[in-house]
This record gives sequence, C-alpha cells and structure tokens, in this order.
Amino acid sequence: MIGKVKEWFMKRVPFNQEKTSKVMSKIFLEEPIPKHMKNWYYALGATPLILFGFMVVTGILLTFYYIPSPDKAYDSVRYITEEVSMGYWIRGIHRWASNLMVIAIILHMVRVFFTRGYRKPRELNWIVGILMLGVTLTLCFTGYSMVYNQLSYWATTVGTNMIKEIPLVGTTILGFLRGGEEVSSNTLTRFFNLHVGFLPTLLFILIVIHIVFVRMHGVSKLEGNENEETYSFYPEHFYHTIIVALFLLTFISALTVIFPPGLGEPADPNNTPAHVKPEWYFFAVYSILKFIPLKAGIFLMMAFVIIAIFWPFIDDMLRKKWPNLKAHYMIGSLTIILFLFFTVYEIIVH
Amino acid sequence: MSENNNSLATQKLIVGIFSILLLIILIIVAAVEMKQTMEPELIVDISGENKNCVNCHIEKSIAVKSIDLWKKSKHAEMSISCVDCHTAKEGDFDAFFCPESDFLVARHPTPKDCAECHEQQVNEFADSKHAHQFWLIKNTDRSVFENPISTRHGCEQCHNVGNLWPDGSVGECDACHPKHSFSKAVARQPETCGECHIGPDHPQIEIYLESKHGNIFRSQEKKLDLNYSSKDGKPIPIDVPVCTTCHMDGNETQPMTHNVSARLAWESQAAWSFRTVWLEESLGNWEMKRSRMESICKSCHAPDFIQTYLLTADLINLQYNEIRRIIVGMNKKLTEKGMVSRLEKDGKFYSDPVLTGWDEESEYLMYHAWHHEGRRFRFGAEMMGADYTQWHGIWEVQDDMVNMFKFAAERGDPEAKKWVQSNDPIKFAPYALYDIPGNSWGINVLSNTFPYVYNAYPDYWERIKANVKAAYENGLLSEAQWLSWSKRYENKEHYLGTKYNVDSVYKIYTDRDNLDTKSMNKKAVELKLPGKPFWSW
Repeated sequence: MIGKVKEWFMKRVPFNQEKTSKVMSKIFLEEPIPKHMKNWYYALGATPLILFGFMVVTGILLTFYYIPSPDKAYDSVRYITEEVSMGYWIRGIHRWASNLMVIAIILHMVRVFFTRGYRKPRELNWIVGILMLGVTLTLCFTGYSMVYNQLSYWATTVGTNMIKEIPLVGTTILGFLRGGEEVSSNTLTRFFNLHVGFLPTLLFILIVIHIVFVRMHGVSKLEGNENEETYSFYPEHFYHTIIVALFLLTFISALTVIFPPGLGEPADPNNTPAHVKPEWYFFAVYSILKFIPLKAGIFLMMAFVIIAIFWPFIDDMLRKKWPNLKAHYMIGSLTIILFLFFTVYEIIVH
Repeated sequence: MSENNNSLATQKLIVGIFSILLLIILIIVAAVEMKQTMEPELIVDISGENKNCVNCHIEKSIAVKSIDLWKKSKHAEMSISCVDCHTAKEGDFDAFFCPESDFLVARHPTPKDCAECHEQQVNEFADSKHAHQFWLIKNTDRSVFENPISTRHGCEQCHNVGNLWPDGSVGECDACHPKHSFSKAVARQPETCGECHIGPDHPQIEIYLESKHGNIFRSQEKKLDLNYSSKDGKPIPIDVPVCTTCHMDGNETQPMTHNVSARLAWESQAAWSFRTVWLEESLGNWEMKRSRMESICKSCHAPDFIQTYLLTADLINLQYNEIRRIIVGMNKKLTEKGMVSRLEKDGKFYSDPVLTGWDEESEYLMYHAWHHEGRRFRFGAEMMGADYTQWHGIWEVQDDMVNMFKFAAERGDPEAKKWVQSNDPIKFAPYALYDIPGNSWGINVLSNTFPYVYNAYPDYWERIKANVKAAYENGLLSEAQWLSWSKRYENKEHYLGTKYNVDSVYKIYTDRDNLDTKSMNKKAVELKLPGKPFWSW
C-alpha cells in the first residue's frame, strides 16, 4: 500500500530520491558539532528558534479570537483568557515564550560575545543576529500593545514617543506608525499588521539567513582550540533539541499556571495612570533615560546600537592595536552588569 | 597549551556565570512583572502631612491595616489622603489632637465631610428611608421589652446607617462602603445589605439567596467584578442582579441613585401595607417609583412578566392587610372588653393593642403577625422568595390568627368560641380575598382545580373582582395593573388552565402515586413487629 502511494507520488513529483536524501542528510543530520556544545550555556542558539515556533503556533490560535479594534481588543483578550477553552494557556504560552525568547537571545549573545564567535569570517552573521534581536524586541513591543489595557496603552504611547526624538526622520516615522497624533485605532491596526505579518516574516527570513551562515561557516569552535573534536548533529544534538523543546513547553506551562498574564484595566486614553512603564526588557533603557536628558539618551542608545552592529570589526581593530587587551570581556561584563542593575533598580524603586 | 587551557577555562567561567546570573535574575524579573499584570500594583503618592500620619501610625502600630486598605482604594489613586477626610477645626465635636503631636484631626468623618466631593450621593442618601430615624420615633420594643445595653450592639449597630450627627449631617457612608477602602465592590456585595437585612423580621438577604437572582449570583459570584461605575447610563455590566442593581444602580434608562426609596412602591415593612408617600414632591407618587423599578427589571425581563409578577406581589400586600384587620380587630376587642390588659405605669400606656405588647398572648401574636411573619410574607412575594411567602410567611400568619382565636375563645370571646367550634373549611378565610387568574411563570393546567374556595363558591371570581376593583379605585393599584388584571379575568379559563384537558398525562402520575401510597401503607403503616412493646397502655 505504502509502496503504491510512493510510486504514485514519485511519478508526479519526479526527483532523484537517493541524491536528495544524501544532500539533505549532509545538510541537516551530519552537521559537525564541536564537543564544547554539549554544555548547555554554550548551546542556546536553537532555544530562541523553538520559542519562536511556539509563538507562531499560539499566535495563529490567538488570531482566531483577537479583534484589533480599540473597542473590542481588550474584551477579546478577556474572552480568550476567561472563556475560550484553554485560551489562558495559549495566551500564557505566547506571552511567556516571548519573555523567554528575549532571555534566550540574550544568553545566546552572551555565549557568542564572550567566545568571540563573531570573529572573522562570521561578522555578517553577528549583524544578522543583532537585526534579529531588534526585530524580536519590536515584535514584543507591538505584541504588548495588542492587549489594549491601561499599562500596554500607555507603554505604547510612551514607547512611540521616543521615536519622535530620532533625528530628521523621527516625526515622520512616528506619524507613520501611529497613523495620527495619538495612539488610536490606526495605531492598533498598524501594530497588529506588523505583529502578525511583516515582522514574523522578516524574522523568519533572518532566521533562515542566520542558519545558512552557520551551515556555511560551520559552528564556531572555541578560540585557541580549533582542533576541537566534533560530533554529528543527529542523533545526539537533535534529541537534545527535542528535549529542550519539551522542557520549555513544560516550563512555560508551569509559569503560565503560577504567573498567568493578567488583564489589567481597559485602556482609557483620557486617564493617565499614576505610573507608566514598559515591559521589563526595556527597563534598563527606560531607567537610564530618566537620569539623562531624552535627546542625549536617544543619541546614547543609537551609538550603542551602532557599536553593537559593528562590534566584530571594532573588536578586530582594538586587537590589532592592543593584542593583549581583552576588550570584549570588559565591555561585555560592564554591559551585562549595567543592564541587570538598571533592570532590577527599576523594579525596586517601584 | 597551558595558557590556552587557562584562557578557555576563564571563558567558560565567564559565560557560565553570566548565563546563570542572567537566567535567574531575568526569569525572576519577568515573573514579578507578570504577577503585577494580575494585580497591578497601585503607585500611591504619600507626601506632606499625610506622610507624617502614615509614618507615625506604622511606627506605633495603630490601625496599620487601614493604611493598607486606603492604599488600594480609589481615594489613594486620586491622591485623596488622610487629612482630606480627617480634617478638623477647633471646636468640632470630634476634633482631637493626635497623641504626642499638634495634629488636630477629626476622629470620625461624617457625611458632611464626604459631601465635600460626593455631594449628590450624600444628598440622595439623606432623602432615603435609610436616613429616616423611624426606629426612634416608634421604638416601644427597645424601650420596654429589651434592655438598653443589649440594643447597643443590636438595633443601634444597624440603624447607625441613619446616624444623626452633631454637625447636622445624616447617615454613615461606611456602613456600606467600608472604611478605608470605601470599596464599591463591597457595597454591592449582597451580604453588605445582608448585614442588617437579615433575620426573622427582615430576611431580605435570605430571600434573595433563595430566589433565582441569588442562586445565579452564587453560581457566578467568583467571576463577577462588582467594582464598576453605574452613573454613566451604560447597560448593567453584570448578568445577574445584586441588591443594588434593582434598588440603586443605573442602566440605560435609569440614573444611579443613593436613595433606596426612589424605586419602592410599598411600605411593606410597616404594620399595614400602604402605598408609599415618601418624598412625593421630589420622587413622585408610588406609580412613578414603581416605573423606575420596572425600568431596571426591563433590562432582563419582558414587560408582561414584570407586570404580572409585581401585580401578584401587590395583591399579596393587600391580602396581608385583610388578615391583619382580623388579628388586630380581635386583640383590640379583647383589650376594650378588659379580657387582656395593656402595660401601664402612672397613667401612661407602654403597649398598644394595634401595634405592640408582649405580656399577653394575643398582643404577642398580633405583634409577630406583623413584625416577623407578616413582613416575611410580603418581602418574599416581592423578591421571589417562595419559601418566605409560603412557609415562613402566610403559614405562620395564619397560625398566629388561629392561635389568636383559640386564646380569645379561652378568654371567653363568643365570636372566637364560635370560630373554634366551627367545622366549616372556609373558617380559615374570615376576611376578604384577593387573587389573580394564573401566575407569571406560565399555565399550570391542573393547579387551579383544587382550592376549596374555587369549587365551593361559584361567585368566587366575582367577589375577587369587586375587591381588586376597589383597590384600583382607592389608588392602591394603577390603571395599567387593573387593565392587566381584567385581561386575565376576561380570559381566566386560559390563564387558570381550566379549559385545557391533560387528564391522560395526569393519570400517569396519579397511577404512580397510588403505587407509592400502596407501598407506604404496606411497608410503613401496616407493619407490625413481633417483639412486644416495653410499656403498654
């Protein structure tokens, strides 16, 4: 029976099965993985991908009920959370997966940064990675605004206000995103479109490019240990990835039960809450901006982003000048400590 | 090689430490933030003098929980703080200096203070019967039968809702909106009304919980958010009425009011049921008040159902008066003839043959037939509490009447003797009757074939019609009610179900009942045990 089906199919889709299978096996199964990747914190690249997968699935399910209009958005989220069968779980996974995806990306970047995984010839893949971080944070930001409660509405207002400060094009971009002077129904439909259409597609393309780069260069070996042994992706690393996926699903489900995302108060554009704040991954930036003038802060952020994008080249230049200076250790550690300090500070002061 | 190993080890250490650190801290941060989405933490501004109040109270552990409650309140959100309400001037009746300080504060903010911001609500409340001190005006039970100390935490606690303050303001807002949260949700919780509207003489909370309204409330209670604003002409946001929904909250057609008397058409807590005349100049007559209530009913019910239901409840109120007429009449006659005596001291009477009195059986029965059973009978009918209309209501009112006749017969009253000796089944209705063809629920074909009066008195409905018409002509029923009643009367065979034949279905149940009876007789009534009794007659 199976033979007959296969024969029927091969007649209609003729291709060299043996050759294809060999190529596929070489690409996907026999990828050489350096031995150090057996340690979990050296091997976090697939984690954001798994979480992205969770979010695509749960995101599609959420759109079955979500209505992107100011009058109905909050109620539809409430309906999903309180009345749709398993709705709270789907929403919880979506929300928690986004949180964990940001954490996973940060951890992955920590590994790549401190092992100088971005070093020649992988500089471009680092830049793709930075772009992916940017797209992920934008997805988080637009997704948070979908809930349309007081917190998210005002976080969106304050967040988009910052765009205005970008030199030359700020006001135009702000008008384009908001579709008017204030956060309104136009903003919500635009953000919805970005959140479920453009940004996930962009992220998907960047993920493909990222993986193609990894496969072209091979997984980077530890600096100074270029003769490191390798093992095949399949079966060990493949099964590890499956185990990680199952663990994440269990872990996120547990988080959803223990810390379910709430609904808050419906958005009220006429009533500014006493305290407006963004999601926690923007706390550090938000906190720093309180200590320095907004314009200076925006310039600082832009400088930081530019340095981050071109870091592989900057690092290379620094090394040529001062061969013994381990600039990436210092800058990396300082960035993490500052990021953690301001994130926790923002929570403690409020 | 060794240096390289060292370098790799350092790298591993740094990546490991930062990974673990970031993972743990960021997951905690994310969890803390996620938890806040469940209960958004209110950011409260405590500054100026209020800061001194809060700090000192915390330091000395005095009413600290009040501060916590206030922090979660709308007041805190709007920056209404301690001194805004507890403000005092020298000479104010409740002004005092906080110990060891020079803060002059008001010990008890009164409605006058609340009116600084909530003037409309305070005024509406002052116009309501909640604010009326009738319990002081007609208060013989407290002044004679009960000793004062017992009533401090009895009558006084509940009637505190209408406290008359030295500053001339009336009421106690926190009777419903508990200090210091002043929560709307708590005020709407039926048990808040039930703090006082409970017990044998006014069991509204028990009636409500017994009713379909209360039952649905219980089933949905955990999902209901009662903390909504009701003053903006929006539809009622909950799917089941709580007490305030009908008596206070607004909908698309009715404004919200703190005057609980604005929608009541009866004085059915009084010794006699009468159509309310409370504040007619501003609230309108009873028909206007009833129309307000009906506007709320219409949020959920069809007009025909509302009309029939309330008309039936109205007729029960009127029926109560007829029974009371007999009971009071008998007690009055016994008093006038000297068969029972009133409480008296120095030429002043302390009991009243038509209202109160506790040392003579007939006085006691007369009082209870009003103050306990008579109220339950009427409240149950108004609020869908069938058991309170029936077993806690009319059954006990009738019982009071029977005992009244027995007592009067023992004391030698000839009419009562005649009543006691009579074997006529109609003797339990020594008063005029009201009725309505059918009920508001539907047509129950056989239920109207059983009452003795229906079968024994062919002119039954003619007599009823004359009484209902008289009630209408005396302004006790509206024209719409009279027309509604007449419509049912004209078509009574339909509404009573007597024109329909369902004997074949009914027979199924009578046959089954016969089997039950047979089984009961065999297994219970006729059962004889072989062991001899231990005592015999």
